[in-house]
Amino acid sequence: MTVLEVNDVCVAPPDGAPLIEHMSFSIAAGEVLVVMGPSGCGKSTLLSWLTGTLPPGFSSRGTATIDGNRVDNLATERRRIGLVLQSDYLFPHMSVADNLLFGLRAGGRHDRRHRIEESLEHAGLGGFADRDPATLSGGQRARVSLLRTLMSEPAVLLLDEPFSRLDAARREQIRQFTWAQSAALPVLLVTHDLADVPDGARVLEIQARGQIAQSGVYSAQGAGDA
Amino acid sequence: MMSRAHNGLPGVALLVASCFLAPLMLGVFGTIWQAGSGDGLRAAITRLFSDPRLGPALNLTLFTGVVSSTLVVALTVVILVSAHGTRVWRALMAALPPLLAVPHAAIAVGIAFLLAPSGWILRWFSPWLTGFDRPPVAWTVPDASGWSLVIGLVIKETPFLVLACAAQLRSLDVDAALRIGRTLGYSPARSWSRLILPRLWPRVRLTFLVILAFNLAVVDMAILLGPGHPPTLAVWLVQLVSDPATRTLASTGALLLAILVALVAISVLMIEALLGHVAAARRRNGQRGHGFASARVLGQGVALIVMVMGMLSLVVLPLWSLARRWRFPDAWPSQWTLDHWVRRAGSILDPSLSTIGFAVLTAVLAVVAGIIWLEAERRGRMPRIDTLWYLPLLIPQTALLFGWQVAAIWSGVEGSWWLVLHAHWFYALPYVVLILASSWRELDPRWAHAAATLGAGYWKTLWRIRLPLLAGPVAQAAAVAASVSVAQYLPTLLLGAGRQATLATELVAGQGGMDRRSMSTLAVLQSLLPLLAFAAAVAWQGKRRMAASVNRA
Repeated sequence: MTVLEVNDVCVAPPDGAPLIEHMSFSIAAGEVLVVMGPSGCGKSTLLSWLTGTLPPGFSSRGTATIDGNRVDNLATERRRIGLVLQSDYLFPHMSVADNLLFGLRAGGRHDRRHRIEESLEHAGLGGFADRDPATLSGGQRARVSLLRTLMSEPAVLLLDEPFSRLDAARREQIRQFTWAQSAALPVLLVTHDLADVPDGARVLEIQARGQIAQSGVYSAQGAGDA
Repeated sequence: MMSRAHNGLPGVALLVASCFLAPLMLGVFGTIWQAGSGDGLRAAITRLFSDPRLGPALNLTLFTGVVSSTLVVALTVVILVSAHGTRVWRALMAALPPLLAVPHAAIAVGIAFLLAPSGWILRWFSPWLTGFDRPPVAWTVPDASGWSLVIGLVIKETPFLVLACAAQLRSLDVDAALRIGRTLGYSPARSWSRLILPRLWPRVRLTFLVILAFNLAVVDMAILLGPGHPPTLAVWLVQLVSDPATRTLASTGALLLAILVALVAISVLMIEALLGHVAAARRRNGQRGHGFASARVLGQGVALIVMVMGMLSLVVLPLWSLARRWRFPDAWPSQWTLDHWVRRAGSILDPSLSTIGFAVLTAVLAVVAGIIWLEAERRGRMPRIDTLWYLPLLIPQTALLFGWQVAAIWSGVEGSWWLVLHAHWFYALPYVVLILASSWRELDPRWAHAAATLGAGYWKTLWRIRLPLLAGPVAQAAAVAASVSVAQYLPTLLLGAGRQATLATELVAGQGGMDRRSMSTLAVLQSLLPLLAFAAAVAWQGKRRMAASVNRA
């Protein structure tokens, strides 16, 4: 079973106060860990550190392992950590199918095409393969974006406020879609909105510099402190 | 109710358009007319193609133009992929704009002083590494095969394309695209080739075609760095046009050069379409590739070499102008003097003043004309004609100026200073409009609405609100216009009929007959003027920013 373990992470910008200090946690496959906290508390910095995309000049220490194998010292593209951002970033010069094919790892040409058509069908987007991403609604774009990330077969999934740009009507539908699609993965969700948190998810509420203020397991009836 | 004071704007904008389009029409049709003025166009074409000098000139033009343009693109891609987002990139962004401002002729002289057998580069490594204690005879600059010209064009034009790309990258959200690409498992180079370059290229395609046209048709750099026997086609045509007996042949050749530029440009578009198909197929195959840190370091090294070569070609100029004694293989002059400056002061004063005069007037007139056009366009009184502004940059100067010269001779205005000024303005205006256009069009209209509700009329709003808010781009456009004017060689030579001497004409005329020290004094002066214009623009913008921050405080 895949497990992401993060140990004693510290991140600091050049000539600045640390953004994260001594942060540790682990996420098992099928588990959702939610990180919540005020702006500037280090949530996005944590995701940048995990994906290896910290801005130049930032210093960091600590380790991240997936199934015991260290990944924080690998290039971004070799970590197999999938990322879905607030904006969907569907590439505008590619069709919906090409965006998904871009995510899909190598395989036979027909098999690849078949797989993406099948997953589009499954996502309620049958017949959308050759559409220009610009012609899709926000909810459709969000689904394609998540599918593209999942096509790359990540070992861990990071979600950076992926529902915040969606209108209220579509938000719940996309949440359900996301949890169903990523059920087998360790998932780290960063959000401001408690409504985004699925039942049974572990919640870390953090203060400034990534310090954990409290943690607990969320249920729709109320979160209980651990 | 809006002010009616701007009702004359369309008329003035039409005047601007006429002053811009008239030389285009006169130039193209004048060249065609002159080509067919003898025994007809067919006879002129037969005569041109039977001339034994055409073949070698054509080959050399294609070689230097195509190879240098290909290298410019290749180096730009290498620089983008390897250096973007790094310290090297920040250094490039600071160092390249001044390099871009320096006229081609001055850079060409500097590059010759670097690459020559007795040049600065070899001096640094002699005799301790090369063993040379006197200049080798294995090569010359300019060389017979055109490589010196290729290197010169690459060093001068690569910064142009890199900066054009940098301006476009801001709107492509490169960092986010690279982040997504890399978290999907693609190496940085593949993320660039699949996600950024396909979107970037359409935005800089026209800039590349301008570079291609320039590299195929350049005259001043080709005289200074290109071989003399045979010269490039453009240089040969300029030699022909100076003799009234061969002007018909020159005009026919100018048309051929224009067709050659068009054919090469069409070939580029066809290659682009082909590569587009290949790239689209590769985007779908899912192959991730590997990132090679060493390749990235190598690419950054290439970026630094281009930048340092450009900078050194500028630094070597003042050294030579102040050197009394500089024996090979010394890396630095052993004795210094101001004699070359003092001795030449009398002869360089007039061309310097003339250059400054043309530069200042060109900057003022081009900026005013650009603002008039963009204001008329903004108010819906004139259409957007962005592609037309590029025409003077895409059509070889020979094809335009030979015809314009015919019209000038016919009307008896050849050699007048205002005709030369018009030519400088004509070549500076496209840059001014293209620099100002995006800021002018994107300025939030609510600023003007707010001023209007406070009782400000059209002119007051333009003068007190719009212009101060756009002072940065206006200053930058003025500096570019001045540097374009300082660099104009062929328009000054042909339309000035030898009566309007500027630093550009003196410098190019000195090739072959002038010593290094005299050439370098002219080149230093020619570089200094645009650099001062840029420094003034930057200082003025800095002063305004400082004043704004003090006011806010």
